[in-house]
Amino acid sequence: MNDIYILAIESSCDETSMAIVKNGCEVISLSITTQMFTHAKYGGVVPEIASRMHTEAITYVLEDCLEKAHMKIEDMSAIAVTYAPGLTGSLMVGVEAAKILALMYHKPLIAVNHLIGHIYANNLESKMEFPLLALIVSGGHTELLIMEDDYKFIKLGETMDDAIGEAFDKVARVIGLPYPGGPNIEKLAKEGVHTYSLPIPVNDNTYNFSYSGLKSAVINLVHNETQRKKEIRKEDLAKSFQDAAIDELVRKVELAFKNTGIKRLVVAGGVSANEYLKSEMNKLCHKYDATLLIPRMLYCTDNAAMIGAAAYPKYLKKEFSDYSLNVSSSEDII
Amino acid sequence: MVTLFIDTHSSKLHLALLVDGIIKREIIRDDREHSTYFVSLLDEIMKLEGLSFEDLSDIILINGPGSFTGVRLGVVVAKLISYTKDIPIHTITYLEALALKYDYSVTLGIKDKNGVFIGTFDNNHECIGDYVYLTNKEQENYPKKIIIEDEIDLDRVYEYLKAKPSIIPHEVKPIYVKKIEVEND
Repeated sequence: MNDIYILAIESSCDETSMAIVKNGCEVISLSITTQMFTHAKYGGVVPEIASRMHTEAITYVLEDCLEKAHMKIEDMSAIAVTYAPGLTGSLMVGVEAAKILALMYHKPLIAVNHLIGHIYANNLESKMEFPLLALIVSGGHTELLIMEDDYKFIKLGETMDDAIGEAFDKVARVIGLPYPGGPNIEKLAKEGVHTYSLPIPVNDNTYNFSYSGLKSAVINLVHNETQRKKEIRKEDLAKSFQDAAIDELVRKVELAFKNTGIKRLVVAGGVSANEYLKSEMNKLCHKYDATLLIPRMLYCTDNAAMIGAAAYPKYLKKEFSDYSLNVSSSEDII
Repeated sequence: MVTLFIDTHSSKLHLALLVDGIIKREIIRDDREHSTYFVSLLDEIMKLEGLSFEDLSDIILINGPGSFTGVRLGVVVAKLISYTKDIPIHTITYLEALALKYDYSVTLGIKDKNGVFIGTFDNNHECIGDYVYLTNKEQENYPKKIIIEDEIDLDRVYEYLKAKPSIIPHEVKPIYVKKIEVEND
């Protein structure tokens, strides 16, 4: 079979990214431009600004991606794009770009779910084997799934309120850390010790998660200490929070290891860049003699290479979209 | 000379193909669902004339002001065609396009749901000052007479832009005018 080259586009939040991925596993080129420094001024992503910046960046990113690969759009087998979930206006820029490129170059159009993209980021490292457990941890999602085969998912559980990344961002704001909160909490936590007692989020035998209670507990703690004019040891609070948030994930994955007997774990999404999470999951996998797959940092955060990887099985099955493809801000994996 | 005209600034999606400045085909669809139909309609208009994108000599894009999303979709699609197929692109705002119908100084307005975008032009169609967005309430007390217009004359737009240099596709900019919340702080 001929090699399959997919030009993939990702614009679901505050990164405009394009990539050329060969056979769903080899990154030929990857371009990412981030708007993080703009949104940091506002303490979070401003959707309208994000859409405007994607619009500005789109041709530059395309140019960079093609130049790095020394390839032309004519050389592509298909055009893939993130259509859900994410910020509506941001997604639209990528989807419209993908549609016009597909039309002009007579290429099939492949719609990719961003979360599935995060899972397939692992194929860029080594081909995933099934069945596996997939833990998705990002700013908008926290869920645990069984993946039986390409695009065959069974959901075990998900967050009942906030996503873990959202909780990191909110807690960061409360203790006065700049956006993006996740990496800043992690940095601070490295200097802290677990001294604050925080509640265990969902201490039961389901696979569900909850982060709003933990977040509120931190907010209340800060509030109470401030009222008592006691100083908060920020690094200790960051460490205590991070432990509580990540131990919750570890507990649920352990439950899934015990109940399913599955020996592979994929951790996907922006929060999988967290070092403490990685080391705890490593320990857990060691205990259950399981294989842990976490892509390198570059493929953990939002990028188009993972979209190209996730588009590949759809290309093989000829699951193409037409030009009426529309975005969806909240669509889940299943 | 085949010119592709694109206007997505309002709820009305307007596409046209001009051959040597004469309109050969037009598609107008009024349903606010630009993200669903825009590229399909581009496909349709090109097919109806038996053209491919390589056949285009230039693009005329209305780059605002109007619906943020509408303006943005037009810009994204037009600059990608221009960039990838190396086709010269001209942009003109809807207000400038309307002003071409007047050979005297005039303040023009285009309405949206909550107000009106206005621009003042001299007798050479040059814009005086900046565009402004007035809410329906602000409009009541506005000192100048505003002519609310809707229809542009595509022939005049073509003639006017023919004499102007085209722009680099990377630099095709949407004209939003309306401020967003965080900018008002």
